[in-house]
Amino acid sequence: VAQKRKPERTNVVIIGAGASGATAAKVLTERGLRVVALERGPWRKRESFGGDELANVNRYNLWPDPILNPRTYRVSANKETKIEMFCPVPQMVGGGTVHWQGWLPRFTENDFKLRTIVGELAGTTLVDWPISYADLEPYYTNVEWAFGVSGAGGVNKYESSRSKEYPCPPLPTTRYGQKFHEGCRKLGYNSFPTPMAALSRPYNGRPVTVQSAFAQQHGDPTGTRSSALSVFVPDALKTGRYDLRPDCYVHEITLDEHDRCQSAVYRDADGDFIEQEADVFILGCGAIESARLLLLSRSSRFPHGLANGSDLVGRNATFHEYSAAVGVFEDPIYAWAGGGYVAASSYQFYEHDEKRGFVGGCHIASAGVGIPLPINWSLPGRPMWGAQARQIDRDYYNHSFAIGMVLHDMPQHENRVELDDKIKDAWGLPVARITNKIHENDLKMGRWVIDRNAEILDAAGAKKTYRVYPERVTGNCSHQHGTTRMGNDPGTSVLNKWCQAHEVENLFVVDGGSFPTATGANPTLTIMANAWRVADYIADHYQPARKPR
Amino acid sequence: MTAPQAGSGAAGSFFNAHQRATIEAAMARIIPTDDQPGAREAGTIEFLDRYLSGLEFIYAKPDGSGFEKLEGKRAEAWEQRIEILRAKYIEGVRELDSRSQAQFGVEFVLLTSGQQDHILTGMERPSLQIEALVEPAPAGARSELVEPALQQTSAEIELDFFPLLALHTRQGFYADPIYGGNKNRAGWKLIGFEGPESLAETHAGRFTTLPFFAKEQIDWKGGK
Repeated sequence: VAQKRKPERTNVVIIGAGASGATAAKVLTERGLRVVALERGPWRKRESFGGDELANVNRYNLWPDPILNPRTYRVSANKETKIEMFCPVPQMVGGGTVHWQGWLPRFTENDFKLRTIVGELAGTTLVDWPISYADLEPYYTNVEWAFGVSGAGGVNKYESSRSKEYPCPPLPTTRYGQKFHEGCRKLGYNSFPTPMAALSRPYNGRPVTVQSAFAQQHGDPTGTRSSALSVFVPDALKTGRYDLRPDCYVHEITLDEHDRCQSAVYRDADGDFIEQEADVFILGCGAIESARLLLLSRSSRFPHGLANGSDLVGRNATFHEYSAAVGVFEDPIYAWAGGGYVAASSYQFYEHDEKRGFVGGCHIASAGVGIPLPINWSLPGRPMWGAQARQIDRDYYNHSFAIGMVLHDMPQHENRVELDDKIKDAWGLPVARITNKIHENDLKMGRWVIDRNAEILDAAGAKKTYRVYPERVTGNCSHQHGTTRMGNDPGTSVLNKWCQAHEVENLFVVDGGSFPTATGANPTLTIMANAWRVADYIADHYQPARKPR
Repeated sequence: MTAPQAGSGAAGSFFNAHQRATIEAAMARIIPTDDQPGAREAGTIEFLDRYLSGLEFIYAKPDGSGFEKLEGKRAEAWEQRIEILRAKYIEGVRELDSRSQAQFGVEFVLLTSGQQDHILTGMERPSLQIEALVEPAPAGARSELVEPALQQTSAEIELDFFPLLALHTRQGFYADPIYGGNKNRAGWKLIGFEGPESLAETHAGRFTTLPFFAKEQIDWKGGK
């Protein structure tokens, strides 16, 4: 197929250069391995980003364009399938970390053994993780110190033990952070500064983060926020062993005669098909796209997709859901300051408590009410037009903020990612079809937590509150997990505890697809810590394969 | 690219004079003027007319020095999208006029504000998506469009004419002035957003919101 010269075989191919792929690249290249990274999207430099809500949020400057990269969604197998931008993530070097504001809380010890703690939950595939908090702790520290995460260890009283303080103190206090803290204090709830991928002091030669209003869902033109793009990609490049190829879209992973991965076949920016061979293959495309690539890679050995003898690739998909209670206050809040997400958090409702009547819990935090403008956000119940709508914008925009939740949705066998049988993307490949039905436990958790959030707003002095309960999982967090869950039993998991495919020795998946459960916290710190752990393992055990014949 | 009944043909313009006046009048009801400027004074029609004119005004350059030139698959996707949006507007203007003729015997632009509101309400009602927004969300209900950007489930081209017009009016009112609307920062002044002087300020890292942070810092380690 190749019209160009076939590139030289390399040690490791990493597909994707986002949170997980760039972390793995940094670690492997620093340990001396040669890495070819195949990223389907562009390699944008910080100069190409700006404070433009219209372009970034409405016109697909950062989001995937649904005309080129659609997805489909249905509630269940017997319901209608619709084209929907379900759980989009920027497809470019840096991935989701390009436009995040970077809330980086750690998971807790109990997250890794929730099944043991709560027992069986009907209709779910709740399991323990094959790894523990202790396995990840050193890697949490590694990522926090590489990024210069701003936070305060020990303030979150539900936090599990940490070996090292955060490298940077908390960011300055916002008014919405202050109100949240005040409300929590009045109710006797613990709160803490949200750990963030931003610098509160100069760090590793990088200046303090600029507190623009354009942060969450915007790229960072100043390069002062911490991301895969601003930290891990440059780290990997410094080694001289990172061959990062943007605009290279992998269509298939092929097998050799020993049923090991042989090559990644990709289409480059010119539209030419290229075959890249390597000893080790790592997927870091995000849980939806990694599952899709495995399902696209069919062979006689794996007729239903690579490493999918168990029929579990794509299943047990979890996505979180962002929902919030909104409070309106007399005094100005300016919830757009710092982009609306320089926040305060609480784990008061994070750990499981059977008295609440549902399993699990979640992270809550204060947040803004625009991105940053009210183009794409409005007060719940605001009419779409007319004098009243205008009045609401004017009266409420500077006087309200949200307390959001990260819904810990339960894993279910039928909630899955598959290949759509009708819709193809602009490159002719079947798109990901998401089937997702919210579990009763998720609904109960959502109602309970949103009610608590509204009470915190009341305690902070809100003159009015609005409660938005999650009704279905829409993928609005851009968080995705579970589609290649790790576990000790090949019958109930796709990957082993090293995120290595049970069925294919030289294949690893390092994105959120490996998470057996969603947990109730923002996943990316754990995704990066876990990718670091797996990359260390790969480097420890790497042996150059036999020479190509 | 040619649209059916394409507009004036002027650079940066799509609508003909009648279409432009009709949409401008409708926008003026969506964000009406009171003691402060509304959609009309903010130039939201200019914003929309430019948007529909082709591929020249889709993305401002991030430093505000002009607009990006689109190429390849991206350009193809935008051609397709603009074509779909144009058709919705052409049909939408026809619908506004035919309803106005049927109910009041004249075109939409000639109606009083009250009559225009009546017609727009009629346009809004048939859409189920909109119903959810008009009524205050009942406890437990989450309307589809409350937080479209957080949900990312509704793309512009899937919207009916009226919600599309309402969205574009809002975009034109609050988006950066470089796109032709939000004249004199009318939208930002209305809500009290102390935004940057220009895209260049944000791009260069000079735009800071620190003056709008809290006056006092929380002493996290101090326990209170």
